[in-house]
Amino acid sequence: MTRPFDPARDLVINRIIKAPRARIWQAWTEPAKLERWFLPAPSLCRVITLDLTPGGALLTEMSESGGAFMPHIDACILAADKDERFVFTDALTAGWRPGKEPFMTAVITMKDHAEGTEYAALAMHKDPETRALHEKLGFHDGWGTVTEQLARLVESGA
Amino acid sequence: MILSHMEQYQPALDGLFQALADPTRRAVLGRLGRGPASISELAEPFDMALPSFMKHIHVLEQSGWISTRKQGRVRTCAIETAPLAIVDDWLVAQRKLWEARTNRLEQFLADTNPKETPR
Repeated sequence: MTRPFDPARDLVINRIIKAPRARIWQAWTEPAKLERWFLPAPSLCRVITLDLTPGGALLTEMSESGGAFMPHIDACILAADKDERFVFTDALTAGWRPGKEPFMTAVITMKDHAEGTEYAALAMHKDPETRALHEKLGFHDGWGTVTEQLARLVESGA
Repeated sequence: MILSHMEQYQPALDGLFQALADPTRRAVLGRLGRGPASISELAEPFDMALPSFMKHIHVLEQSGWISTRKQGRVRTCAIETAPLAIVDDWLVAQRKLWEARTNRLEQFLADTNPKETPR
């Protein structure tokens, strides 16, 4: 069911967070809390809808340094298993309607750990254009180096 | 596009990807990857009227993939490397975004920890 990790277009952040799973879950799923950390200051995040059911909407807006709020995320929640797993994608919008610009699926998982929580954020991306480009151009010299650096970065972080 | 602060790169990225969505333009880029070439050299392998071919050259130039330079009656095209870095860097950018987001989550949890009162 799950596909193997693809270093060319997926990334995973693993972190031991010194807080119980329940508090991380709340930080992700309670709008007032999510708004406080989701975007870097001075940008502001506003949660319009966060409907914790499969097919529910995750709809947020952002304001850059206090300006007008603009659309930010328009995603569909795929799984919301309390204190364990939170999955959403922008390939779909609320009610499983196909999204306009499918780009990524995020899988947030939390497991108990002696120091708190073993936290992982997996982001899987669609990026056929980049891969097609790499194949077509056959990559040489300087460009190959960029790709190697990319691969190293992904591997070292994964 | 979700979760991205690639918003700042967005217009550039859209143009770059749109320019790639055509086999003729990809072939031209592939040729230019081996070194600069004149319009007539580039057009030669294609069974296409010159005005049509020039449209592709304009798309590549306007999106930033190539630069062109006219010397006398000959226009020479060369590939630009910066766009490739932008296209290639998107995953690095996404990783930074998620690292930073996780840092903020961690900080938020520390700041709001009910067990510890700040000194």
